[in-house]
Amino acid sequence: MNYKAVIIGGSAGSFQVITRILHSLPPTFPLPVLLSLHRLKHIRSGFVEALSIKASIPIVEPFDKEQIKPGRAYLAPANYHMFIELGNKIALSTEESVNHSRPSIDLSFITAAQVYREKLVGIILSGANRDGAYGLKKIKDLGGTVIVQDPSECQVKTMTEASLKMTNVDHILSTQEIIKFLQNIKTTAP
Amino acid sequence: MIVTDQDLQYFVTTLKNVTKYDFSEYSDKSLKRRLLKVLTDLNLDLIGLLTNIKQDSCFAENIVKEITVNTTELFRDPPVWHLLRSRVLPRFKNNKTINIWHAGCSTGQEVYSMMILLNEMDMLDKAKIFATDLNTDVLEASKKGVYKYRFNIGYLDNFDKVIKQNPLNFEEYNDIPYEKYFDIDKLKDTITIKKFLTEKPIFRKHDLVNDGNLFFAKFDLILCRNVIIYFNYSLQNKVFELFHANLYPKGCLLLGMHETILGPWANKFEKIGQAYVKK
Repeated sequence: MNYKAVIIGGSAGSFQVITRILHSLPPTFPLPVLLSLHRLKHIRSGFVEALSIKASIPIVEPFDKEQIKPGRAYLAPANYHMFIELGNKIALSTEESVNHSRPSIDLSFITAAQVYREKLVGIILSGANRDGAYGLKKIKDLGGTVIVQDPSECQVKTMTEASLKMTNVDHILSTQEIIKFLQNIKTTAP
Repeated sequence: MIVTDQDLQYFVTTLKNVTKYDFSEYSDKSLKRRLLKVLTDLNLDLIGLLTNIKQDSCFAENIVKEITVNTTELFRDPPVWHLLRSRVLPRFKNNKTINIWHAGCSTGQEVYSMMILLNEMDMLDKAKIFATDLNTDVLEASKKGVYKYRFNIGYLDNFDKVIKQNPLNFEEYNDIPYEKYFDIDKLKDTITIKKFLTEKPIFRKHDLVNDGNLFFAKFDLILCRNVIIYFNYSLQNKVFELFHANLYPKGCLLLGMHETILGPWANKFEKIGQAYVKK
């Protein structure tokens, strides 16, 4: 499969996992990585810097209507929903919270699924609410590949378990296996 | 249910025929999402919605209020307020008057945040505050200045970050009580802005698509935050033109934290952090 993008959703307990993943990606990673992560109030700002310290690809909090490019990670800014639009663009919005969350992982996932369809990898990590479960199902319904972090490894299992309940996922993987999956993705891209 | 391009076009055309609102240059993706939300909330299909819009102008007006986004907070995005405090407002310190326009003020939290900051900088007396929105309901809410307490506890964190703390000097802490600016009633679940603030601004209905400058004034500072994300490129440029024409030289335009000027108007401004200064 020639994938076009990877989208990752996470909440409580996902910070270290994301850090490890971003650290382990090759600097020449061929796809954009879209990150829709809930944030604790006290790390609303400085989050992108904290993630960037060890990451091997550049991480940006995108501007509205920013063009998505491969080999970069796009972190949904605090207090905005991040949508993916046709034409490979980011759109931001300050619409009401969904699942008590802004950014809402569901909204990012659903719009990414509609744009990339079967050429999308969706990953749900540790988290303390159910946001993302419906979005992951949408990715699967539209032909994408969906991965859930092994709940036995998650600091908080609510999000991964909710996702597993709703969707017959392609893979349940440990952090190390997720990293391996992503590292190998480059061989499948054009 | 899905909203197709054609559905959206019917909707926009019908609204334009029945009301004076023109959504044709709003960003279609966000407008589609909002339309879908309205259809779901009202449990109507598109034909039902359009029939109601044609028959009832009050209904049409209400749909416009629903379709536009009206979220806001006190001191939303504290880094923006730090920039205002340290690098933007000091530019106007020696002015006799400071004219400020909040374009798309929603329920007024940004207006009162600005006035609180100006007051702390001893600049409120010489400020003239103008605030506009398309939606008359949110303007009424702005004038009242009464907000839900529990839903908005984050407001107080933001107040602390912007008004009590100084990001340039962590040792500085100004213990300014909330009661200086608002009354908190936990039983009634309200935060009420003090009258000396609510009676000052001039609130007016204004549509960025159709209307020019409503006030017989130019501006030192225009805030239009998280509004143009709902507009397409062409409408964004029209709005930048309007703002540019109505700023004094060296006047500042402040967009949302993640909004930026792309295209021809970018080089007519100089950037100070997130703020655009008219060249």
